[in-house]
Amino acid sequence: MSANPFCTTIAEQLNTGILILDLDYNIVEWNRFFAIHAHKDAKEVIGKNVFTAFPELPQKWFERKLSSVIQLNTQSFCSWEQRHHLFELSHTRPITTDSHFMAQNCTFLPIETDKVISHICILIEDVTDVCHYQTKLNKVLDELAKANRIDGLTQVFNRKHWEECLDKEFSRARRYDHGLALIMFDLDHFKLLNDTYGHQCGDTVLIETAQKISSLLRLCDQFGRYGGEEFAAILPETDLIGAVDVAERICKEIEKLVIKFQDKDIRISTSVGVATINPNDKRYEDLISNADLALYEAKATGRNKVCSAKEIEYILEE
Amino acid sequence: MNNVNLNEDQQDCLQEIINVAMGQASDQLARYLDTFVYLKVPSIEQVSAQHLSDTLKYEAQSVAVVSQGFFGYEGIRGEALLMYQPKDSDRLADLLGYEPDELSVEEQIIDLSSILTTTFLNVFASQIDNQMSYSAPRLLFSSNADNNTSSQSSISEHIQHNSFNWDTALKVKISYQVTDYSFNCDMILLIPESAIINITSVIDRILEEY
Amino acid sequence: MSLSVLICDDSNMARKQVLRILPESLSENVQLATNGVEALEILNNQPIDVLFLDLTMPIVDGVGVLQGIKEAGISVNVFVISADIQPEMQNKVLELGAKAFLRKPVQLDVLTTHLKQHDII
Repeated sequence: MSANPFCTTIAEQLNTGILILDLDYNIVEWNRFFAIHAHKDAKEVIGKNVFTAFPELPQKWFERKLSSVIQLNTQSFCSWEQRHHLFELSHTRPITTDSHFMAQNCTFLPIETDKVISHICILIEDVTDVCHYQTKLNKVLDELAKANRIDGLTQVFNRKHWEECLDKEFSRARRYDHGLALIMFDLDHFKLLNDTYGHQCGDTVLIETAQKISSLLRLCDQFGRYGGEEFAAILPETDLIGAVDVAERICKEIEKLVIKFQDKDIRISTSVGVATINPNDKRYEDLISNADLALYEAKATGRNKVCSAKEIEYILEE
Repeated sequence: MNNVNLNEDQQDCLQEIINVAMGQASDQLARYLDTFVYLKVPSIEQVSAQHLSDTLKYEAQSVAVVSQGFFGYEGIRGEALLMYQPKDSDRLADLLGYEPDELSVEEQIIDLSSILTTTFLNVFASQIDNQMSYSAPRLLFSSNADNNTSSQSSISEHIQHNSFNWDTALKVKISYQVTDYSFNCDMILLIPESAIINITSVIDRILEEY
Repeated sequence: MSLSVLICDDSNMARKQVLRILPESLSENVQLATNGVEALEILNNQPIDVLFLDLTMPIVDGVGVLQGIKEAGISVNVFVISADIQPEMQNKVLELGAKAFLRKPVQLDVLTTHLKQHDII
């Protein structure tokens, strides 16, 4: 590749691909690494236009990239994270990774002859390994982040994440003077159910109830498990009438729900408390307290029903 | 360390070298992007590792930060951070001459960052008879790529989470404003203290000629 | 006869750069300004024959000085010496009445050529 014997040896032995183009994008030179992984004959490549030799290249992008190198006489880069590969090359881990082509980090270098840019050198690093492990790591991180938000049993939001959501929705509602409603559910006689049919039955009931309630909420509502058999839903931009309407519907659907457990048909019901944000609420915890009070009211006045914070105020005033 | 403090003449000299580099880089950019780049006086200050995240508070609103390392002869090296504000990321493709769906926002941001960093530092280096090499640019943080819900992380948090092996750094801030596209971006060069000493000796050599 | 000269640049080094390549006839009566406000103050209070003006400066920049000169109808030969070499900027300062645009760092032969061209020396 060069007059210097060291350079020639190193370029040929290097585990980095080297491709040299002239300013008309014709291939002038390549090294052994590139040749081996491209599975092409030198005849098909040397002296040929780069887009003819490697039709897989995104031509417009590639030309724009090279024009910045030529015009600004500065190097440019392309990472596997943005583009998995430029050239369709084979790699050294075809068995133990699922990558079809070599993941590549590419560097574009201007080469000057007599202080004027005459060629472009493209360096290709094989980062299939890095790509493989980074992708795995990202997947694990995603799963971890998800596990951190999700209740393991019911697969709805856990308490910690649900409260963070409420915190955000509460400040948003305050800031933009929007409505915000909270619905709290507590399954009726759940302890009795556990004592009668066992905890596995209780778990099945929690899973199916959570699924049912989720399916009855809007996409923008945030639903989570608040405690043992308590669930809660955040309904952004919803007034009391709307929220009570949703709560009534869920209450009726739960009543109709038949859960199969070991050939037995299990029926349950839920008590529901509804509250909406009001000017006296300073923190999101105030909203929870109000919904909790309404829920207590529903429990105390016969269960399997919906009570709202407004009604309680009304009762208290009387 | 006291010997890393630049005196008035050294600061002035560095500022002038940066000015000239900024001017020539902007000229290249203006021709390449076919636009006009509005130049402001760059700011140069010394920051302690402890206060780096504080001094980057304003930049904390950035949606994206790209880092690129640079290194030249005589122990001159550092890290360039390119910071983008939310309203500017939409205009990038337009600026770079790509079709909207030809490449991702992340790729556009990295591409432009690399162009801004290398054009500036190439001219800077040639003025002090040096030559720069660069590491590949990396997206440190982007709210576009953010797929978790704790999107509150920011550059200052990102920096806070690292413990540094330096005490003082030289911070050079250059603001690029592209008028045609009303696009803004800040380039922050951070030069660690061992490299400041090297830069200082280069500056002293230049000052001796005056 | 020696001409009155004003060098306006926020950089001490840049001012020195100009000072040390000034021809003799221009180097006897030289004043310095570090920003546009200082420059305009001097220009408004005394006749200046030649102004060497930087563009990128704090408070009032070079373009601001050129506009100020135009508005006040001050007669002075302005040579812009700047690092901001974008064609658009060069055209702008020439339109605003500058005699010539010289790129930083300014060289002796370039300065001499321009001064001769405009009959200053």
